[in-house]
Formats: sequence, C-alpha cells, structure tokens
Amino acid sequence: MIPAKYNLRNLKVRWVTTLMTVVGTGLVVCASVLTIGLVDGLEQALRVSGHPLDLIVVRKGSTDETSSGLEQSVARDVASLSGIAKSESGQLLCSVEHVTILTKPRRNNGGTTNLIVRGLEDVGRQLRPEFRISQGRDLTPGVNEAITSRQMAERFENLGLGEKLEINHDNFEIVGYFEAGGSSAESEVWTDLRDLTSARRTPGIASSVNLRAQNEAALESLVQELAEDKRFQLSAIRETKYYEDQMESSAFIKYIGYFIAVFLTVAAMFAAANTMYAAVASRGREIGTLRALGFPRSSILISFLFESVVLCLMGGLLGCLATLPFNGLSTGTANFASFSEITFSFQFGPRVLLQGVVLALAMGILGGLLPAIRAVRLNIITALRER
Amino acid sequence: MQLFKYICRNMLRNKIRSLLTILSVGFSLALMTVLYGFMASQETWKKDAAQENRIVVMNIQGFSGRLPIASVDEVRSIDGVVAAVPYAWFGGTFQEETMPFAQFGTDAEQVFQVWPNFKISPEELTAWQDNRQGCVLDRRIAEKRGWKLGERIRLKGTFYPFDLDLELCGMFDSPKNTDSLWFHWKYLDEGLRQEYPEAAGNSGTIFAKIQDKSEIPAAIKKIDERFASSETPTRSQTEAAFAQMFIDMLGNIQVLIRNIGFAVVFSLSLVAANSMAMSMRERVTEIAVLKAIGFPRLRIMLMILGESCLVAFLGGVMGVGLGCVMLQMMHTAVPQQFPFSIFEMLGPWIAYGFVVAALIGLISGLVPAIRASRLSVIDGLRRVA
Repeated sequence: MIPAKYNLRNLKVRWVTTLMTVVGTGLVVCASVLTIGLVDGLEQALRVSGHPLDLIVVRKGSTDETSSGLEQSVARDVASLSGIAKSESGQLLCSVEHVTILTKPRRNNGGTTNLIVRGLEDVGRQLRPEFRISQGRDLTPGVNEAITSRQMAERFENLGLGEKLEINHDNFEIVGYFEAGGSSAESEVWTDLRDLTSARRTPGIASSVNLRAQNEAALESLVQELAEDKRFQLSAIRETKYYEDQMESSAFIKYIGYFIAVFLTVAAMFAAANTMYAAVASRGREIGTLRALGFPRSSILISFLFESVVLCLMGGLLGCLATLPFNGLSTGTANFASFSEITFSFQFGPRVLLQGVVLALAMGILGGLLPAIRAVRLNIITALRER
Repeated sequence: MQLFKYICRNMLRNKIRSLLTILSVGFSLALMTVLYGFMASQETWKKDAAQENRIVVMNIQGFSGRLPIASVDEVRSIDGVVAAVPYAWFGGTFQEETMPFAQFGTDAEQVFQVWPNFKISPEELTAWQDNRQGCVLDRRIAEKRGWKLGERIRLKGTFYPFDLDLELCGMFDSPKNTDSLWFHWKYLDEGLRQEYPEAAGNSGTIFAKIQDKSEIPAAIKKIDERFASSETPTRSQTEAAFAQMFIDMLGNIQVLIRNIGFAVVFSLSLVAANSMAMSMRERVTEIAVLKAIGFPRLRIMLMILGESCLVAFLGGVMGVGLGCVMLQMMHTAVPQQFPFSIFEMLGPWIAYGFVVAALIGLISGLVPAIRASRLSVIDGLRRVA
C-alpha cells in the first residue's frame, strides 16, 4: 500500500488548488445540507406532533381539522366512550376543539398568508408534547385572550405580546407565548373554545375532538366504535397518520429539496474530477516511479481515490460546519394540507449531517474514479520519460 | 478572428478539463434555471391574471369563511360587473388520486362570460346547462386521460361530505392549461342540504368579470362596502392580487432559493477559476514566448479571459438549455405545480443564466489573466525543462 501520507503531502503542496476545491465542494455541501435540513425541519415539526396513542376525531369525509365541522354536543358525547386515558389529576384526556383559518399579514411586508387559530379548553394542553408557557401567562377563558408561540409572534403582525388580533371585529389580546416541543401547535394561535366560536358567530360548532387512548387495544376499539356508530357520523384518525398525510401534501417541497441536492452534487463531482485529473496529469513521473518500485495497480487506484475522497470530505466537513449558525433558526412556509402557515426550525441532526457527508463521499469517489483509472493505465516507460 | 481561433484551440487542448468545467457550470446553471423558472411561472400567472379584468371576492377571514350564495346576485348588481359566478373549490379525490385536477362548483349560465376567452361549442354548453350532474373540463385533461363525452367521473369529497357523480358534457379550450373541471354549484349544494345543511348555501369564492379596467377599483370598493356590515364581510381583490396571495404563502422559500443560487455561483466561480489557473500553469513557457515575440499584454489578457468566458458561456448554454427542457418536462408531468410551458413564460429571467455564466467566466479568468500579463519573460522562458 502507498502510505496515506503521500496523498496528504500532495494535497498540502498544491494547497491553492486544494483550497479552492475544498471551498467549492464545501459550499455545495453547505447548500445541500441547508435544503435537506429545511425539509427535515418541516417533517420533524409534523412528526413530533403525532402521539402514537392520540386520535383526531373529525366529521366523516373530512381529512383535515380545518375543513371539519361538528356539533359540540356530539363532540362531548365522544368523551363518554370507554378507553380514553385520564390525566394524573383524573381528568379525561379528551379535548373538544374549534379550528379556524384567518388570512393575516406577515410582518415586514411579507405578504398575507393563512393563520390557524384554535379554540380549546384547558385539557387540550396536556395532549400536546411538553406544553409550557415560556413568557407571559396562560389565557383566561371568557375575556378574549389568546396565546401563541414566539416564532409566530415574530412572523405575524399583531401577534406580539400585548398586541391584539382581530377576529370578526372582536379583538383578542395576546397574553403569553407557549412552547410545545417543536410540534405544529407552535404554528397556531390558541384561545378559549367558547370565545372563538362566539367571535366566529358559530356557537355550538366544533372542528374536532383530540383524545388519548389508554392503550393500543383501547385505541383500536375507539376507532372501530366511532366508525360504526351512525349517531356520530365521525371518523377517528390516528394522530401519527394524520400528520404523515400532511407531510405527503408537502411532499413537493421535499422533491425540490432533493432535486437541488442531487444536481449540486453532480456539478461538484465534475469539479472534483477536474482537480483530480490535473493531479494525475502533473504526477505522471511519480506514478511511473511508484509502479517501477513494484506497487501494484490496485494500490495506485486506491491511493488516488483516497486522495479524491479526502479532498471532498474536507469540503463536506467544512460545508457541514458552515451550516451551524443556521441550526435552530426558525422559518416558515405553507402547509399544503391546510394552506396555512407552518413554522419550523432548521434541524441539523446527525441524520442530515450524515447525508451531507455521504454527498461529499459520492463526489469524491465518482469524481476520483476516472482520473484514478487513468493513473493506473499509464505506461511505465512513457510515464517515466515525462518531464 | 485570429484571436478567437487561438482561444478555441487553447480550449480544445485539454478536452477533458474543458468538458468537465462546462459540465459543472452547466449542471449548476440548469438547477438555477429550473428554480428561477419556478418563480417566474408564478409571476407569469400574476401577469396573465392582470389582463383579464377579473376580481375575486372572498370572506374577509379567508378561505374558511362563508360567502352566502345570495352575494353572487348582489355582486352582479354592482355597476361595471359583466358577470359573476360562485366558484367553490371541491378538492375531491378521483379513484385513488388525491388532487387529480382542480374542481370547481360554478354557474353554467355565466361562467363562460367570466372567462370569455375559454371556448366551448354551443351544443356542448347547452348539454351541460341542461344536465344537473353534467360537467365540463379543460380539453387537456380529457386528452391526457382519454375521456370521451359521456364519461362518468366520480369524485369523492374531502372537504364536503358529499361525493359527485358527474357526466362529461363538454370540453373547453383555454389559452393556458387550467387543469380544471367545472360542475354545477347547485348539484353540490343540493347534496349538502341533505347530508350536512350547515355547509350548504356557501358559494366559496366569487369570480366576477368587470367591463373595463378603469372600473375595477370602484367595483371592489362598492362590493366591500355593500357587505361590510353584513354577517359576512368580504375582501375583494383583483385576480392578480389573489394570485400574489398564493405566492406569499410559500414564504421564505424564495429567499432560500435565491441564496442557494448565490452559493452555487460563488462555488462555481472558484471551481472554474481553479481549472483556468491549472491551464495557465501549464502554459507559462508558451506565454513567455508570446510575450518575447512581441504580443502586447492586453492581447494576452484577452486571450485568457476569452478562453474562460468561452468555457463558461458553453456551460451557460448547456445549463439554460437543460433547465428549459426540464421545466418543459415538469410542465407535462405535474401541470398543477408548473402551470406554464416554457414558451409561455419566456422572459428576462432566462437571461440570468447567461449573465451568471458571463460573470463566472470573467471572475474565473481574471486572476490567471493578470498573472499571465505580469509574467516576466525571463522567468517564463527559464521554466523550460
């Protein structure tokens, strides 16, 4: 085997070329990782929203809370079904909720978009992951108060602490910010169920019932019971399935993301190949000498591939490092299931970074292969004769 | 001319290197072209919408708000309104496909007055108007799916607890692929009245055609004033503003796309500069000879810049070409996301690809060119092995 030191020294001697290739591939990896991180952040927000034992009950035929409507009295009857889990304080984990979409302006002239406002009662908070008030206080029912997340307050007009959101001529004061484990609840404004239905002039109407089953068996019987009972005309969707379907409607963002990553990688591959061809071309004599010393063709092939991989991996690592400042940065786009805003954070977990490194590896191997083969096929005599 | 020949020869000297640089520039610019084309398609939608003198009336709260069907008649009574129709998004699934094409419940009597440039034969129009469960659709959908007149189309409701059982009565021709099916709003409403009376009587949105462009602001103001104190206040806007609303929904994605574009261009310049520098290093002696026989500095600089620009330009041609081909393919594959064919949205944005290519060429050639022009003849000649 040719020692790795040979390649590393070579990279160091030709440092300008090395640096340019590393920065070039680094930027490409950075852009790809950013795109994948964006897609991942969006999926993450939807994924953590689904609890395996939770059900979302909507009117039969609806696939989304925002398009579902049912009588609150019917919704309350759902709570009488058996198999619903109880909280530590003995309260049934079954929440009647009203969801509405308002078209509201974003801050900084970001245009208008759709905003989800959810009216719910206290128990609904226990059905969200890690719900807590991070600033201000929770709302008091009956006096038109609302809470939202910090990200939403930064993105929308009139959602800052102390500001007032108008719903059908009624003003709702924002009194606090909440967090909910990064779930899609953080893309919503919450207010009291009754306050919202009266502002919307639809008293007695709910959109959905969110509930938690005691266990898997209870969950299945609840789904069954709701589907068969003609009195209800409801259908229960597993929360995990519900959010998976939402991911599906945003799938085209994902395709764009991967499309960008693949194209950039191919482009960077050619760049890496270019650098490696130059490396092989200028080292003909060295290669000839190595062959003459008795190194087999396979060692030379591996050696050049290794050099190419090291080159691209350095770029890959640099690219991954460059994304660090973006980690946790929140942004938003449309959730195409409900045509409303969803905020999420860039997530550069091990999975995303690994994809970045894999891209860099692909560049290195595919880009280095042809040049390495050329190095192997050099004729010893002519190679040694080169200047 | 002599110069150009020299540049071409130089480029062809290391074919693999030039080809790799062209491919690398080409692939990245193809990506940029597709991304910018995607944004341009939205602009085209907006621009097209602006020519049609149509306005869209919706509940001030947005799509979820109701708009009673009686509002349609009130809108029709406003001065300047030629025709107005309810336009309710159905969003049904066809067999296993979610969102197969757009479906709207509307008014068969006036809908072709609101879209006067959509053409349908009078017989087919009458057939539709007389058939309660009839529908018409964009001819392109029928062609794609091989549907003939009389085809039964069953759409399963997602928002509405009602399934449509439609009969194809006609096909209309529109300037652009609308990917839309129209059915009788009344058919949907009658069904809802039985299944779910609370949802009935809602026209969704109202599309209205205004006589003259100058009357639009007044009509919008009048309509919104008319409904301001009702149970369902409205927000009326031009179709262009309506389109803008959908574009806005995408949010920061556009900023992201732009920034990716910048990163790509920057990294490309590095890569191209790198390969140009490699070429120069190999030709040091040669350049010294040229200088020794009296080539002026400027000419040598031009030679090198010309070569880098030529390589980048070829990459640009490949990139923009490939990008346009891909946009056209996406237009045929997913017309909902890419509603316009490449010929319909040609615009200055296409030139971006070439401008970027030119910039890459200039930037990547600059350092090698300056270095070559400063090269001392003696040093250069000495390098001969």
